[in-house]
Amino acid sequence: MILNFEDTKRLIESYNIKFCKTEFAKDKKGIIHAAKKIGFPVVLKIVSQKIVHKTDFGGVKLNLKNENELIEAYNEILKSISKRLIDGFLVQKMLEGVELIIGAKQDEQFGPIVLFGAGGIFVELIKDFSIRIAPINKNEAMKMIKEIKSYPILRGARKGIYVDIEKLAKIISSVSKLICENEIRELDLNPIIANGENIVVVDARVIV
Amino acid sequence: MNLEKLFNPKSIAVIGASRDKKSVGYGILKNLKCGGFFKCRFNRPFRGKIFAVNPNAKKILGFQCYGKVTDIPFDVDLAIICVPSKIVKKVAYDCVEKEVGSVIIISAGFSETGKAGRELEEEIISLFKKKKIPVLGPNCLGLIRPSSNLNATFSRTMPPKGHVSFITQSGALADSVIDWAIVNDYGFSNIVSCGNQAYIEIHHLVQWAAKDKETKAIALYIESLKDGRKFVECVKKINKPIVVLKAGKTFTGKKAVSSHTGSLAGDYDVYKAAFKQFGIIEVETIDELFDIAKVVAEQPKCKNEIAIVTNGGGCGVVAADHCAKLGVNLVELKEKTIKKLDESGEMHPAYSKRNPLDLIGDALPKRYEVAINTLLSEEYIHGLIVIQTLQTMTDSLGDAKVIVKAKKRFKEKPIICAFLGGKFTEKGVAYLKRNNVPVYDNLKKAVMAISALIELNNRN
Repeated sequence: MILNFEDTKRLIESYNIKFCKTEFAKDKKGIIHAAKKIGFPVVLKIVSQKIVHKTDFGGVKLNLKNENELIEAYNEILKSISKRLIDGFLVQKMLEGVELIIGAKQDEQFGPIVLFGAGGIFVELIKDFSIRIAPINKNEAMKMIKEIKSYPILRGARKGIYVDIEKLAKIISSVSKLICENEIRELDLNPIIANGENIVVVDARVIV
Repeated sequence: MNLEKLFNPKSIAVIGASRDKKSVGYGILKNLKCGGFFKCRFNRPFRGKIFAVNPNAKKILGFQCYGKVTDIPFDVDLAIICVPSKIVKKVAYDCVEKEVGSVIIISAGFSETGKAGRELEEEIISLFKKKKIPVLGPNCLGLIRPSSNLNATFSRTMPPKGHVSFITQSGALADSVIDWAIVNDYGFSNIVSCGNQAYIEIHHLVQWAAKDKETKAIALYIESLKDGRKFVECVKKINKPIVVLKAGKTFTGKKAVSSHTGSLAGDYDVYKAAFKQFGIIEVETIDELFDIAKVVAEQPKCKNEIAIVTNGGGCGVVAADHCAKLGVNLVELKEKTIKKLDESGEMHPAYSKRNPLDLIGDALPKRYEVAINTLLSEEYIHGLIVIQTLQTMTDSLGDAKVIVKAKKRFKEKPIICAFLGGKFTEKGVAYLKRNNVPVYDNLKKAVMAISALIELNNRN
């Protein structure tokens, strides 16, 4: 079973991991209200128990700068996805940074494990990740970070975005404790958007 | 779990001893009696008591037969069961009654065959568990411990004695490894086939090998662990080197995957990560498993600051490429080192003056000696790969001798050799092997060997 949005957010925040400013809305009126509360530009996403890859179905609309763009995005979503697959909508602040994934699961052989990698929608194609048996401390998490091929990107390669890897390591270590201390089968924090010391979970999926 | 009586028994009963020369029960009895089924210079007869159990025979191989293990008027440290699976339960009751010290169940036909077999296995094992009698198997080859003159298997011969413990989930593989070991004079402290791991699991065997004085390195052939968590918990506390070959790497994808993490972290990915996290050296082939196990058992570990000495420029470059691929760091030679080499008067005018250090094709043992000693005397160089190609003047045995001398002088720094050739390198290679210097006819293997010693050093 997939944990609902509120409980997911609460669980993650209880481990001192920052979750993106997010509002849940049921309908058009709700999302407009939410967007105004958060402030443009925003992201609009569907909430669905049935769809894992929301982007593939046209269920994620990025960088909506004003109310018109928001309404247009909302209409487009409804054109491509049947209403009965949609449990609601999330409106989030549009963030810029490096997309990462931190995940965890119960492995049949080794029990709780933690995963860190280059994230975003292409995570399964890029396959740039490292794994450890959980729990791990910050030092081991640092090794995980340095192990992935995209590591130079986190260090601001080609004048890009610089990520605070000390803080990132702390978060990975926290997730490794989270999977050990809770009855969870699988967990995705994907994407996490990292920019300097601002490391924020944008989307999460917890399977209990 | 105390496995002392399993590995160092003073008395052994073979339950299911047989007169049929083609049977397992005959093979095991003969192996205990003679050390091996076929003649081999490494065979050693078991020095403790041996009892044959067979209700239908009077004498087998000169041993008086008992009808049941309980009829034996002495203590039994180890009972080897090789009767058909349907009789194992009955025999197990006898063993428990006799309070034997340990058990090997060779017989197949248990959990590996399906549900009925699994239930039978669980039933039998629970009998032994109640009395805390450790059981190896079922469905295994047994175990060999050359230092105790113990060949409790149905292998053809005994392997040479050495310092590598080989723990394998494949019994059949062990048989061929023994035959290979004889030709290559490769020594083992133990060879254990774990079978279905119904009671004694791989981590128990690893734990035992870690405490075994004969063992300096552990080589594992694993298909699947019964409990990976226990395995890593146990490995964490061990400081002997462990090398593993994991078979069955293809992701089986049995379940529907509902998360990115689930889809990325397949079964083998997690194994691989666990090996890395806990300092277990993973290899890809059976050759590598034994090559690396021997190197880490016998050579000092070293920091990742390596130099290559060669008499062939091309081979130096190939080796350097392998180094780059495996993360072996070839240090830059400092000016003071080059100065020492120049001043020795032994270098060819066109020698490379950098790492890999190319001594040029006409290098004789003296030039090798100066180069090796100069490099290993430097505090910033921690290990050496010495490559030899064959020219008309190359003195393979002479080169080997200077290498062995250097090994004795620089005990803390490994020297790994690649003597390329065959017929004309034979004597040099034999001399190196006799003196425990790792030597390969293959550059990649030499680089892998030094890479393993570096990996060991990085283990926290």
